[in-house]
Amino acid sequence: MGAHLGEFEQLVLLALIHLGDEGYGISVRDEIHRRTGRDPAFATVYTTLTRLADKGLITSRMGEPTAERGGRRKKYYAILPAGRRAIQASLHALRGMSHGLDTSWGMP
Amino acid sequence: MNADSAPPALASWLLTRILPEDFREACLGDLEERFRNEIVPARGAAAARRWYWGEVLRAPIALLQSPRPSPRFAGDSSVSLLAADLHFATRTLRRRPAFTTLVVLILGLGIGATTAIFSAVYPILFASLPYPDASRITMIWESTKDGGRDNVGFTTWRELTDLSRSFEATAAVGGFSGTMTGRSEPEQLVGQKVTESFFRVLGVSPAIGRGFSHEEDRPGAARVVILSDALWRRRFGGDSSIVGRDITIDGNPFAVVGIMPASFVNVLNPAAQLYTPLRYDVSLPYACRGCHHLRAVARLRAGVTTTAAARELEGIYATMRRDHPTDYAGVTLLPVRLQDDITRAVRPALLAVLAAAALVLLIACANVTNLLLGRAAQRRGEFALRAALGASRGRVMRQLLTESLLLSGLGGALGVALAVFGVRGLVALSPAMMPRVDAIALNSSALGFALAISLAVGVIFGLVPAWHATRRNLHQGTGAGSRRTAGGASFTRGALVISEVALALLLLVGSGLLLRSMREVLNVDPGFDAEQLLTVQIQSGGQRMPDDATTWRFFEQVLTRVRALPGVTSAALTSQLPLSNDFDGYGIHSEKHPNPNPSEDPSAFRYGVSAGYLETMRIPLLRGRTLTPQDVAGQPEVVVINQSFAKRVFPGEDAIGQRVRVGDPAKGPWRTIVGIVGDVKQVSLAAERSDALYQPEVQSPYGADGAMTLVVRGGGDVNALLPAIRQAVAEVDRDQPVIRVATMAALLHASEAQRRFALVLFEGFALVALILAAAGIYGVLSGMVTERIREIGVRSALGASRRDILSLIVGAGMRLTGIGLTVGLVASVLLSRTIASMLFGITATDLPTYLGVALVLFAVAIAACWLPARRAARIDPVTTLRAD
Repeated sequence: MGAHLGEFEQLVLLALIHLGDEGYGISVRDEIHRRTGRDPAFATVYTTLTRLADKGLITSRMGEPTAERGGRRKKYYAILPAGRRAIQASLHALRGMSHGLDTSWGMP
Repeated sequence: MNADSAPPALASWLLTRILPEDFREACLGDLEERFRNEIVPARGAAAARRWYWGEVLRAPIALLQSPRPSPRFAGDSSVSLLAADLHFATRTLRRRPAFTTLVVLILGLGIGATTAIFSAVYPILFASLPYPDASRITMIWESTKDGGRDNVGFTTWRELTDLSRSFEATAAVGGFSGTMTGRSEPEQLVGQKVTESFFRVLGVSPAIGRGFSHEEDRPGAARVVILSDALWRRRFGGDSSIVGRDITIDGNPFAVVGIMPASFVNVLNPAAQLYTPLRYDVSLPYACRGCHHLRAVARLRAGVTTTAAARELEGIYATMRRDHPTDYAGVTLLPVRLQDDITRAVRPALLAVLAAAALVLLIACANVTNLLLGRAAQRRGEFALRAALGASRGRVMRQLLTESLLLSGLGGALGVALAVFGVRGLVALSPAMMPRVDAIALNSSALGFALAISLAVGVIFGLVPAWHATRRNLHQGTGAGSRRTAGGASFTRGALVISEVALALLLLVGSGLLLRSMREVLNVDPGFDAEQLLTVQIQSGGQRMPDDATTWRFFEQVLTRVRALPGVTSAALTSQLPLSNDFDGYGIHSEKHPNPNPSEDPSAFRYGVSAGYLETMRIPLLRGRTLTPQDVAGQPEVVVINQSFAKRVFPGEDAIGQRVRVGDPAKGPWRTIVGIVGDVKQVSLAAERSDALYQPEVQSPYGADGAMTLVVRGGGDVNALLPAIRQAVAEVDRDQPVIRVATMAALLHASEAQRRFALVLFEGFALVALILAAAGIYGVLSGMVTERIREIGVRSALGASRRDILSLIVGAGMRLTGIGLTVGLVASVLLSRTIASMLFGITATDLPTYLGVALVLFAVAIAACWLPARRAARIDPVTTLRAD
């Protein structure tokens, strides 16, 4: 398991865990926006999701087309066990690195 | 589902091209879902479209930032190469922020100017009018001997409608204005009287209610009216129950039968707010063949060309001429496509401005090509290295092309942003006469245009430097930084500077000619004193004005009150005002020189005036006397004519004491000419024609005019008199509205709006061109000095003085400038004819203008040469030679 996760990949994986099996582009983007205040472009969310799928960390399935989407299908994403392991490793590494530091860095 | 809730089509299309296939559908779906369900309801349609475009613009950045380790990206596929090229190009351009910024700015200026002008010109000249099969709608004019166009009489229209086979429907249209009273303030409304076929000709029908019926379009029929959507919403709160009810116009009840759709634009009269049937038939006196006050508009049958219709009308007209020779001394009936008709006046100015914008774009491109050539020369080492590592020539060219496309893309984005402001400015600047200003917007066709020119610029002007950079054997560059300039590239760069100078000269000549014309026009004496003169048009009408005497009494009472106001030095009334689009001409028939065909007699502008009008306007009296308060009804009928008219009708004899008839050659009193006054410009300062006849309004041959203009001369700020004047009108009759208020100086200014519009744009473009050309000359010489630094060092080591070095560099720059000036002058002479119609008082080959702008350009070129030359002269031979 040599897959290192980029920072945005971590956010996407964590968002998928929060969303259960109902994650798709909009909900992932909104989850990240709600929790971090960032405003990523949809294309950014999707390139990351696709990369994570290429790495075998998440899986996807196509939903039904609807009129409000201009007759296009949704793509649902769900995290795979490998993805859970990868995010665990990442978070573990972060905790290890920040352990014992006062992370307010003396700022008010 | 209305169109507003769908994402912008062009943006979606772009996304489908940008996004990779494996998540294209899902991502587009997400965007549309978010757009419809959240952004539109929360922020409105316009903001939502901006949001969508923002996502589109962020997509390529997102894709570039995350190169994906997917199997499709492996190997040498074109996608991976493009991604790699883009990635590399982005990095290269980021490393040289100053260069990148300069190029993007120059391209943005060029593309922005062209896009803004395009979006202004497109709806006017190229987009079809907002009617079904609009290309089949034509106006039908009676053409006159001097190539002018005249309205048709009702009987003429009736006959051509009955006889012609070319048209699906024809309509006659007249003006209508009335005062609506009732619920609130009296309001003066402009509308049109139309035959019942009018809406069929345009191919539109009322959104609510119905159109007019045959029965309603006859003399004496019950009065009905159709309202415009804007009037209906403004005055009746959009209440559809108004249909079927009566409204009061000029004291008469009109039944509302329909409301036009909100989308309906009436290009024949954009200001029209209501429509009522014409209610003519051929027995009416004002339906005569020679009564030219109706416009005819028709819809061609499918498959019939304008040419075929013209041939048929010519035949019909020949028959009419044979049967009624006195009425039809004109030439023929002339069908003109409606679109051509409404844009005829502004077309030359718009095309000239569009050409000017295109020239600026060309100069910008030449400049950018020069910059890229310079860069390519500096990067020879880099290319050589890449070649040594196995890159083919095509590969390097591709990478350079990617860079230039990226630059032009950024320039295009900046250009669109600039164009947004440009278009706003254009709408604010545009002359009042400009048709379809409401349709000017940065719409998808303008964006498509910007995209297309950005692409074209990127490809064409990227290829030249790329080709040059890779032309020689790439491995040669790996030695020391090349010291000799590549002959081909320097030739190309010289040619580019020459073309920049030539193009800049073209624009400068254009704006110089327009500037001189403007000055000539503004020096034209309008024939009256426009300073400190306020003009106020007052409408009289309704049932309280049953006859001419009552109407005239109303105006006289107003005039008496206004003359008594403090601050008023003099005041008078006139039926038409110079330079205000009033146009009231009558045939004038001399008693002494009767014409067998009176309709060929000259016509003159007829001014029905009160005593004191000529004095208030300060129109000089040349001979005889002016009109006095004693010239009233029951007294001998008198007129005053102007100088040019006196010369035309009574050449070589005294016009004073001669008698004329106004209007009808066979009826009415003979009127004695008692005075001759100076000429006044009625139509525009540049218009030649100014035959005029002044007569006491109370002796008018056709009764009182419904609207009169009050001219008031005062000391100090005449605008301050307005409240008191309004008060004076209201004291006489509360229901008579004041409709047009303007100082004469403002009317004088507005009469030249179109010329000013073209001039302002040309000046702006010429200035940009001058700056760009100077930058081009400077850039090329600067590059030359850098490349020849060693040679210059050797020269000064061998005893060349500073002066020799200076003249070497300045000479090189001025050679290019000289050739450019020559080419530009020849091209200017050839092309200046295109703006000849906008010139006044000078010829298109006005020598002082040509010499003047050539001098300006020459001076700017000298300045641009001087800086690099000074740098060259300061080169220390010791340092340069030691470096070897």
